[in-house]
Amino acid sequence: MIELKQVTKQYGQATVLKNITLSIDEPGIYCLLGRNGAGKTTLLKSIAGYQNITSGTIKVDGKTITTSALDTGVSYIENFAKHFNLPVRKLLKLASEVNPNYDYDFASEMMERFELDGKKKFNHLSLGMKTMVSTIICLASNKDVILLDEPVLGFDAIMRVEFYDMLTESFNKHPRIIIVSTHIIEEIAKTIQKLIIIDKGSIRFFDTLRSVETKAFSVSGLQKDVEAATRGLNVIGQDTVGGLVTCYIFDEAPKQTDSLEVRPLSLQDFFIQMVGTRGGVKR
Amino acid sequence: MTAILAIIKRLLASNKISFILTAAVVVCATSSGETVLSNGNYTWLLAVMAPFFFVFYDFSKLMHLGASKKDYFIGCLISYGLLAFCISLVNTVIHLVMDPIYPAQTVINMMDVCRWTENGIFVAAIQQMLFLLLVMIFLHVLLSMQAHWYGWLTDAVLVAIICIFTPIAPLRSALSGFFRLIMLNGNAILHIGTCLLLSAALSLAGLVVLKRKTL
Repeated sequence: MIELKQVTKQYGQATVLKNITLSIDEPGIYCLLGRNGAGKTTLLKSIAGYQNITSGTIKVDGKTITTSALDTGVSYIENFAKHFNLPVRKLLKLASEVNPNYDYDFASEMMERFELDGKKKFNHLSLGMKTMVSTIICLASNKDVILLDEPVLGFDAIMRVEFYDMLTESFNKHPRIIIVSTHIIEEIAKTIQKLIIIDKGSIRFFDTLRSVETKAFSVSGLQKDVEAATRGLNVIGQDTVGGLVTCYIFDEAPKQTDSLEVRPLSLQDFFIQMVGTRGGVKR
Repeated sequence: MTAILAIIKRLLASNKISFILTAAVVVCATSSGETVLSNGNYTWLLAVMAPFFFVFYDFSKLMHLGASKKDYFIGCLISYGLLAFCISLVNTVIHLVMDPIYPAQTVINMMDVCRWTENGIFVAAIQQMLFLLLVMIFLHVLLSMQAHWYGWLTDAVLVAIICIFTPIAPLRSALSGFFRLIMLNGNAILHIGTCLLLSAALSLAGLVVLKRKTL
């Protein structure tokens, strides 16, 4: 269980995380979405105990997480993590030795599946392969909380699909909290259970994908009709093209009429409406 | 325990450059004249180089592999102990076997300079080992602090102590007294006790620094 209470992180004058309160109780695969610089990496690193927060508390399974925690029970991997320049098989073996709960069989199986050359040294791998090795090490660690920061960076389409399968298999084998931060939204949708959207250091959305499917809609039509239909609803964005207005809502869908077009929002469009700005102004 | 052993193995294995450099210097160093330096003295180089690798190279990589800070800390201490033992053993062997067959009349070995051999070769080896352990732990703590403001402050304080204490006679005698206590000490019990006590204190300081260490 991860519990964040009023977490704020400042770098000098810049506030990167703003008073975040969040509780993740159930095992599951969570997707952390946010624009560049939204605070995703800072949030994940703080949960991992890789850096201290300015104020607030972070607890994982009841244990307060700071850099002082000598054993956090959290495994975090960033996309450009550096490893010892050892052959891949030896590196995975070393990871199993320094990590008591490590699932070496899973790591070996994944190494075979991703056609990683066990004899090739880490520094000689491509960016995608390096990221894959880091991700395998992180998932095989079997810690209670797994944090993957941009794991699909440098992956080709086939590797991405394989990665999502691996994520699901790893979770099914050992259910735990897995948080994946990514920019490729639609692809991961089939894999995840819950969505966390962070924007400018604040959590904008934390709910199931099902809620996005059932509550996120676009309502298009003439301005007066759209305004009438969306009055009192949770409007998250609006576009105007000529006399035609499109309102994006996260609420119960208004009734479809001849003058209104109501469509469900894709995950990507929902994300854009939640965090998007146009010329520095909220959409 | 398996994790700690694996960390020790990795720390020592990734310290290869230090081993090679030290071995090269020990084997290749030459001096001429009536008074020469023992090649065994150069084994101390390993004690100076090892903490650089442990702190700047190994720490982040071990963390990325999923090792805990606790295991890393214990692994480092045991590795320093092992290295101190090995360096002391090699220098003692050189002192006993190589130094007497040197053609020069006087061969200076640090074990003699520090007056440790006054207590017999076995005790001298132990004194040397504990002194080297102290040096490595001191360097480890100092290097670990370099990413933080208090590391720079400690550097400045150490430089200031040397600069201020050296020209002023009473302070200079205090400074030399300190070095006589931790290094140039013929009193084995006092020397061993001091080194152990300071090593323990520095280890605790190292733990505090490690707890603040970010990635």
